[in-house]
Amino acid sequence: MSAERAPGLLAGDSLNLRLARRSLGLIALCLVLLPFADLAITTHDPWAELGRMISGLLRPDILATQSLPHAIALTIGFALWGTLLGVVLGFPLALLFPRSRLLRGSCAFVRAIHELFWALLLLQVFGLSAVTAIAALTIPYAGIFAKVYAEILELTPRAPVDALPEGVGRFSRFVYAELPMVWARLSSYTRYRFECAMRSSVLLGFVGLPTLGFHLESAFREGRYAEAGALLWVFYLMIASLHLWGHRRLLPWVALGSLFLLGPWPDIDGALLWRFMSVDLWPKPLLDGDLAGLWQWFGEIPDLLPAIGNTLLLGLMGTAGSLVVALLLWPLACRHFGNRPTRMAGKGVLILMRSTPELMLAFIFLLMLGPSMLPAWLALSLHNGALIAFLVARHADAIVPGSHALPASARYTYELLPRLYGGLLALLFYRAETIIRETALLGMLGIATLGFHIDSSFAYLMFDQAFFLLLVTAGLNIAVDALARRYRPREIADTIGEHDRSTGEATC
Amino acid sequence: MRWLVACLLILVSTAATAETFRFTAIPDEDQSRLEERFDKVANYLEDQLGVAVEYVPVKSYSAAVSAFRNGQVQLAWFGGLTGVQARRLVPNSRALAQGQEDAEFRTYFIANHDSDVDTQGDDLPKNVQGKSFTFGAKTSTSGRLMPEYFIREQFGAPPKSLFSRVGFSGDHSRTIALVESGAYDLGAVNFKVWDAAVADGRVDTDKVDVIWKTPTYPDYQWTIRGDVDDRYGDGFTGKVRKALLDMHDPELLESFPRQGFIPADNDDYQPIEDVGEKLGLLR
Amino acid sequence: MSVEELVRFDGEALGHARHTVLADLTLELRAGERVALLGPSGVGKSTLLAALRRRLGQRAAWCPQEHGLVPPLSVYHNIYMGRLERHSALANLVNLLRPRRDAWRDIQALCRELGLEGLLKRPVAQLSGGQRQRVAIARTLYQAREVFLGDEPVASIDPHQARRLLNMIQRQHATCVIALHQRELALTHFDRVWGLRDGQLILDAPARELTLEDLDTLYPDAHSPDASPEPA
Repeated sequence: MSAERAPGLLAGDSLNLRLARRSLGLIALCLVLLPFADLAITTHDPWAELGRMISGLLRPDILATQSLPHAIALTIGFALWGTLLGVVLGFPLALLFPRSRLLRGSCAFVRAIHELFWALLLLQVFGLSAVTAIAALTIPYAGIFAKVYAEILELTPRAPVDALPEGVGRFSRFVYAELPMVWARLSSYTRYRFECAMRSSVLLGFVGLPTLGFHLESAFREGRYAEAGALLWVFYLMIASLHLWGHRRLLPWVALGSLFLLGPWPDIDGALLWRFMSVDLWPKPLLDGDLAGLWQWFGEIPDLLPAIGNTLLLGLMGTAGSLVVALLLWPLACRHFGNRPTRMAGKGVLILMRSTPELMLAFIFLLMLGPSMLPAWLALSLHNGALIAFLVARHADAIVPGSHALPASARYTYELLPRLYGGLLALLFYRAETIIRETALLGMLGIATLGFHIDSSFAYLMFDQAFFLLLVTAGLNIAVDALARRYRPREIADTIGEHDRSTGEATC
Repeated sequence: MRWLVACLLILVSTAATAETFRFTAIPDEDQSRLEERFDKVANYLEDQLGVAVEYVPVKSYSAAVSAFRNGQVQLAWFGGLTGVQARRLVPNSRALAQGQEDAEFRTYFIANHDSDVDTQGDDLPKNVQGKSFTFGAKTSTSGRLMPEYFIREQFGAPPKSLFSRVGFSGDHSRTIALVESGAYDLGAVNFKVWDAAVADGRVDTDKVDVIWKTPTYPDYQWTIRGDVDDRYGDGFTGKVRKALLDMHDPELLESFPRQGFIPADNDDYQPIEDVGEKLGLLR
Repeated sequence: MSVEELVRFDGEALGHARHTVLADLTLELRAGERVALLGPSGVGKSTLLAALRRRLGQRAAWCPQEHGLVPPLSVYHNIYMGRLERHSALANLVNLLRPRRDAWRDIQALCRELGLEGLLKRPVAQLSGGQRQRVAIARTLYQAREVFLGDEPVASIDPHQARRLLNMIQRQHATCVIALHQRELALTHFDRVWGLRDGQLILDAPARELTLEDLDTLYPDAHSPDASPEPA
């Protein structure tokens, strides 16, 4: 009888081993490409500024911000109406989603452009108004809802439909036997999207819409840290207390009430809109039919290839970093480790990290480490890693531990991680698309990603260039998403039904 | 569909505020309690002009230009470059007045003490080469346009090839903070922001100090749209200019912050326009 | 008096796309016949019932094995679904928000008979297994069709209740085909028994001519004296 030989390191054919090899591959690829990234640490003395920041956070000045209640109300109003209209548009689209390739493509496109960039585009036509803010949320959200709702609807159990008598019309069948079966999932996803919309609504302030983010960014940028600290606390509080005021029965009233605050509505000037869509967005040589001029126009776009390279590199680094952070942090908020106080603290830390806008994290690291890709990398990894860790911890909480008491390390490696790892990786691959989107955003810090150049083009009022770069960004996002989908281990894709709630969450 | 919904919402809400005169301003320094401060300016203008006046808070330079271009504001306190951008986009719009300081505006180059750049001199010190450097906002005249112009003029090379790293802090106060912390060795700031920060004790001049002051150039100005006389009555432009020039209340002027306003016209900003075109920021 | 023949299979093979479940099936269903369908699980009872359902179309009311209920909806709405095709889409939609008076009255009466009184507004998700089964039966009765087709409709119900329910079903439907696993009921409540085994119809006889031992031959492990024919 020949003895079975013990397998070598990471050899074997089990799912988890394959997942482990794939993740190590991702990290290895990241390490290989690391020399191309600019990671120098150049700061000498960040402590004075950091000290001011910390003291501001610890001694917030809640009264410093003028019309704070108004800003809060607008933040909520924009988020609520943006989500609501997103649902109104996205739901019918979800019904057509499986049938139309064109629709799927268009949805992927509107999703691929970050809310902030939508806002920058719409700003040119609707100015700093509620229309800009709400449409900037509604447009991408409609695309997201269409996709996620379609995925949920696809998983509707068939049994009730089969049980219906013959001759029931399509509509009656849908509202009686299909919709109720998935209603809970649809509404919980919508609810989660609303939380995302709250964060996005705050972010819209960064381009000047009068939400909480407007005051937060100004205060932070100008070093009024007591005010910034207060606003940050208000923001955390708003997110943390969402379950209290975001009650199903209360929200319609909040929505109606906020309508009165959203005005004044801009006069929509048709000519303006038309000029923007038909002239401003397109290269002049193209409109004139001047091909040679178009080539020259193309040449004036600064450093397109390095920008794409930087965006992809930062996206890859952010994804690998998030993986490591998530693996390290998830036990912090999980009931199988530590005691009640440590868990509370752990959860708090994770919520803080995932709620703090990446731009701020990046700026703090920029102060500490100096300008390079490093601050952006850390900010992306921490923010996204914490978000994934939070969701993984929730999955872990649902696992009933075995009867014998294992030491914590064994519990982590033998009991829990093997069951969670597939889900964790699925979340990460879903998140990859979002990370790419966010790298574009961090361009605003001076890291020359696509987002940096988009921001510049908007600043120089070269909308044709901005639009072109947005198209490139969207194409890149769609490509990365397709790639992530392909390399997501098949077994996970097959069991995605179980994870769909949290994978949906990962795309926030 | 979206637009339809938007239009419906507009019908539902009233707010058809037809002939309110709206203005915006880009203060380069302190954006705290903006509305409170500028509402006072709005009240002053209302008294002087005899029409309803409203201040529209705008955060970014480009948003201010868009609002001006789209007619969402009729009057704006622009920076040098943004004013040129706006006037190129809106035919017949004109510069009305500038601050007393704006005729002779400057940029200060500041350096972290540890970066070992020699201080003061007639020119930008030679050994700034190879250091890291940050501008302010991308379209700021004093934080981007003119410093880049002077760098190119003196070294005959773009900043990117001169410095080891070039950043855009987005704001003058942030430039100061980043250079003080050593995140960047050098930075370019609006001289008024620097002076105010030093006066308030918000900077540690042992860590960061001025190494070079640029020659003067014209900067901020009030610009008004060409169609206001049609909308608000003949001679309205003249009335606005007079109201601005007559603004002497220090409490109002503090918002800008300027000593007072003096007349200006489009030609005063020709040098800015030339430089903008040269650097490819205007086309 | 000639008896109407409702369905006839003449040497047909039933099954899914590539897999034949019942080969060479020959049988007929006549109006007024109460048929019990017996056989071990997986033998093709559901396949046969599905084929009957297809043939009978609008004449059959159907009570599936897994109930096919919609747990988030109330008992009332689940039962109402039995007549969904008889109302317009708009009427159905309005009924979701505000129950129709007439339907509510009928369903209330039906529920009283089935021991579901007072539960009309309760979501099916909150009911016990036995209650759900009765809701499924109620929905089928509410369809008020000529033939009742049931796939184990009394499987998880105690014998006393099961008898009562079968009586109710048969009072409303002169013709029925019901898959069962309680052999005793097949003999007491039905006119005819169809027995399936190994992909064949091996028994097609009037119930009064059969004994429990005859039925035991349908189940492979019936030779052991205390074998239960099939787990519920």
